[in-house]
Amino acid sequence: MAAAEAKELQQLPLVLGDKKYDNVTRDIIAPVETFPKKLWWIAFSVALTVFGVHMTAIAVVVGTGLGLLGINNPVGWGTFIINFVFWIGIGHAGTLISAVLYVFRQQWRTAINRSAEAMTIFAVACAGIFPNIHVGRLWFIFWAMPYPNERGVLWPNFRSPLVWDVFAISTYLTISLVFWYAGLVPDFASIRDRIKESDAVQKIRKSVYSVLSLGWVGSTRAWAHYEAMAMILAGLSFPLVLSVHSIVSFDFATSVIPGWHTTIFPPYFVIGAIFSGFGMVLTLLIIMREVFHFQDYITIKHLENMAKVTMLTGSLVGLAYSTEFFMAWYSGSPFEGFAFINRMFGPYWWAYWIMVSCNVITPQLFWFKSIRTNPTLLWIISIFVNIGMWFERYVIVVTSLHRDYLPSSWDMYIMTNWDFAILIGSFGMFFTLFLLFVRVFPAIAIAEIKMVMKSPGAKGFGH
Amino acid sequence: MKFDPATYKITDGGKFGRIMLVTGLIGLALAAVGFAVDREHFFFAYLTAFTFWVTIALGALFFVMLQHLTSSTWSVVIRRIVESLTAPLPWLFLLFIPLLFGLHQLYEWSHADVVAADAVLKAKSGFLNPTFFTIRAVVYFAVWCGLAHFLYHASVAQDSGHREEHRKRMRTLSAPGMIIFVITTTFAGWDWLMSLDPHWYSTIFGVYFFSGGLWAILATIVIVVALLQRRGVLTKEITVEHYHDLGKLLFGFTIFWTYIGFSQYFLQWYANIPEETKWYLNRWVGSWKAVSMVILWGHFVLPFGILIFRGVKRSPRLLMIMAVYCVVMHWVDHYWMAFPTLNKDGVHFSWIEIAATVGIGGIFVWAFWTKFISRAVIPVADPHLNESINFRNM
Amino acid sequence: MSARTQVYGMIAEFESPGALLSAAEKMRDAGYTTFDCHSPFPIHGMDTAMGLKRSIVGYVAGICGLAGGSFGLALQWWTSVVDYPLVISGKPFFSYQAFVPVTFALTVLCAAIGVVIAMLVTNGLPRLFHGWFYSSRFTRFSNDGFFVSVEVGDKRYDPVKTKAFLESIGGTHVEVVQGE
Repeated sequence: MAAAEAKELQQLPLVLGDKKYDNVTRDIIAPVETFPKKLWWIAFSVALTVFGVHMTAIAVVVGTGLGLLGINNPVGWGTFIINFVFWIGIGHAGTLISAVLYVFRQQWRTAINRSAEAMTIFAVACAGIFPNIHVGRLWFIFWAMPYPNERGVLWPNFRSPLVWDVFAISTYLTISLVFWYAGLVPDFASIRDRIKESDAVQKIRKSVYSVLSLGWVGSTRAWAHYEAMAMILAGLSFPLVLSVHSIVSFDFATSVIPGWHTTIFPPYFVIGAIFSGFGMVLTLLIIMREVFHFQDYITIKHLENMAKVTMLTGSLVGLAYSTEFFMAWYSGSPFEGFAFINRMFGPYWWAYWIMVSCNVITPQLFWFKSIRTNPTLLWIISIFVNIGMWFERYVIVVTSLHRDYLPSSWDMYIMTNWDFAILIGSFGMFFTLFLLFVRVFPAIAIAEIKMVMKSPGAKGFGH
Repeated sequence: MKFDPATYKITDGGKFGRIMLVTGLIGLALAAVGFAVDREHFFFAYLTAFTFWVTIALGALFFVMLQHLTSSTWSVVIRRIVESLTAPLPWLFLLFIPLLFGLHQLYEWSHADVVAADAVLKAKSGFLNPTFFTIRAVVYFAVWCGLAHFLYHASVAQDSGHREEHRKRMRTLSAPGMIIFVITTTFAGWDWLMSLDPHWYSTIFGVYFFSGGLWAILATIVIVVALLQRRGVLTKEITVEHYHDLGKLLFGFTIFWTYIGFSQYFLQWYANIPEETKWYLNRWVGSWKAVSMVILWGHFVLPFGILIFRGVKRSPRLLMIMAVYCVVMHWVDHYWMAFPTLNKDGVHFSWIEIAATVGIGGIFVWAFWTKFISRAVIPVADPHLNESINFRNM
Repeated sequence: MSARTQVYGMIAEFESPGALLSAAEKMRDAGYTTFDCHSPFPIHGMDTAMGLKRSIVGYVAGICGLAGGSFGLALQWWTSVVDYPLVISGKPFFSYQAFVPVTFALTVLCAAIGVVIAMLVTNGLPRLFHGWFYSSRFTRFSNDGFFVSVEVGDKRYDPVKTKAFLESIGGTHVEVVQGE
């Protein structure tokens, strides 16, 4: 039995290659310590340019007015809301990986949680922009916060889902940041302790990382409090991550619009968010592991596990689609029935079928081990997942609105160039932030990776 | 009853099984008296008892598949217990048959004349009709019994010496198994409980049906483990760490159940569409309001407030008390889902509910127990067994 | 070195997490109280090896969460019922159902901020200075070094005996840390 156990443990190493702790530190910190190469600069300048387009387009739209966009009556919610939900959804994988997989003791999360959390924060930041500009008058956005004010007795309407969003998203962003930063503290100390103060640049780096690492000395007393904190933060983030996209789904589901008002929306949005989040994590990490030579840390096994989560959540999303369809028929409500037939065969049939084929059909390819262990194919499929999930929100927002209860107010929704500029621009913002991240912060949690390593000669430690 | 710690086998355990079988049969006989007394009340009582026990067995099935899919190691010591808890499923199928004779008492849509006069029911009659209802139930049970059977046998095959293919088989069964399980359970929830009120609909109802079962199975595992340990079974293998973990899961799924229940209630309350809110309005009249409050406070607030404490989760005695309480609450939840359709003015609790629950329960426990003692009580050859025994929480 | 040189304590290096764990047990049994272990990652079982109590940060989280949630609910009640009652979609002023999301968000927010602050306070973070930074060897704690440190304030601290003891339990590169 012991032999079988040993054999099995050898089959599943989370870190490949015969690595010592020192190798781990060096490998992971390498991108932070070296000057970026040409490839990074090209990618960064492209991303920054697109980010610039984003900001310019937003400035023009805010300055001119929302009339520049494709929204109309009855389609009052357009790309801004679609992008908002899309990015918030992507921003679920990080917390899911770091909190939910932590609570369920999935050790493979240690290699991917850092970059997934970073991705979460950047995605939520991208998402956060949209409701602010969607209101049209950006300069009054602080009215959403409850504070005693000079406008008389005026408070936000706490019975409005949009106000819940303000609280949910800002809480989520704060806690994700705190969780991420707390995890970074020991790793900042690792960077700090490797810096030789040889010149002015290194001196500056030393002081920056000294401040960031908060004077961490890795003491057991500190680790004890630290681990208790991590467990509690994970426990708090678990319901939080469920609540955030549920509250986003309330924006739709509390209404009486056919196709929006359905009780499965909260868990269905959460599952979709996990699905899209893992899709984006795959997109980013497959590139990152190649460029930074992290193949020994983010192994095929990690990719395969992520593919499995993607497959499971994709299938569940498919089940949710079918549930909605079935219930639309079962409800006996002609409006509900029409809304769903219209999604499938109405003027936006193409969006619907893109959604179904990318989200439900493509992930089924992951049933084949040869596909889910092939990084190139995985990457291609992850792109389809990203596309599909954007279209899911497009279908939800547009198809339900463009056919009103009154046929006289029916209309079509056509995106303008400004819509496209801001949609594409938000990717520029996202990638700019992510490219900066991988050069300044350790992209893999060094301390956590060391915990799950099997070190030779060490007994009675780790898991 | 004797337990051999070397082979992990229980011998001479048949007596308990026989007692349970007799208890079950007596319960069912009493319920049959209830059938003679008040036919409608009997069928609702029987449905409540049936869905209550079925969801526990389904929770067990889900739990087993989840552990295989996530390659959990901590749960290996309790795996055989949970696998055996799926054993009552074929018997529950047998116990489902009486419900087919009560369709007219239970389900409005089974009356052809009512359907003919109601446009909405007429539109759904392709789905809600006795024939299709029966076919679907057969399909559900075929799927569940099949999954339970194959998972159990793949697991006991491992006992005579672990080979990698054993684990592989359990895992490859679990992945598609999970998906068809979700589909069948969702539809079962709609069929058996949601269609009691055929005009009402809620897309999340299947998830609600399932989440309660998952909650109840965790409590059931705690009860079984605690009772076994009192009789000296697995006292060394299952430690306070396992109780702690089960307690954490029970706590977590208290929140999950609340999340699902709240989503359903909240969205229907907020949108305030008459055909949806009436389901909750029915549970808001007379003494039903009190039961609704019991669900809110007893199914969520109390277990949440108690299970949050580490000390409770690490005390087998306290956790067992909580587990019994949770199972009772799970029953109340099913009572609350089924009975307002019959007793529109308020609660009319009777002994028939108890008789039916004990009746099906006796058969359930008997089926579990005979399966459980037929093999080693833990997967003796699982390569993760040692790891599981020595498992420690952080 | 100036006259104001100060001795902070003594550090010793150990080979592996396992060696550190048994060293911690021996330190505890020898009666040292203000000693600490330093490792690149948390080592399980260290808290019992060192004889530490459970962290209190959980209780702080609980109290902060309760406070945050109560504040959230009170805020919504007061603004919607007392200060600015307005009928919205025919719902009662005190629509507690609709107040759940914000109450929940504030509970989690306050609990999380509370637990992080509690962690920082209990660990004395942030600090810009620590005596052990004077040891250049000590910097390896964040890479692959496992250290035991004894502060000069420990009642059993003795420049000779402690050094000998640390070496007897397997410590290498025992060093008295001092600086300005």
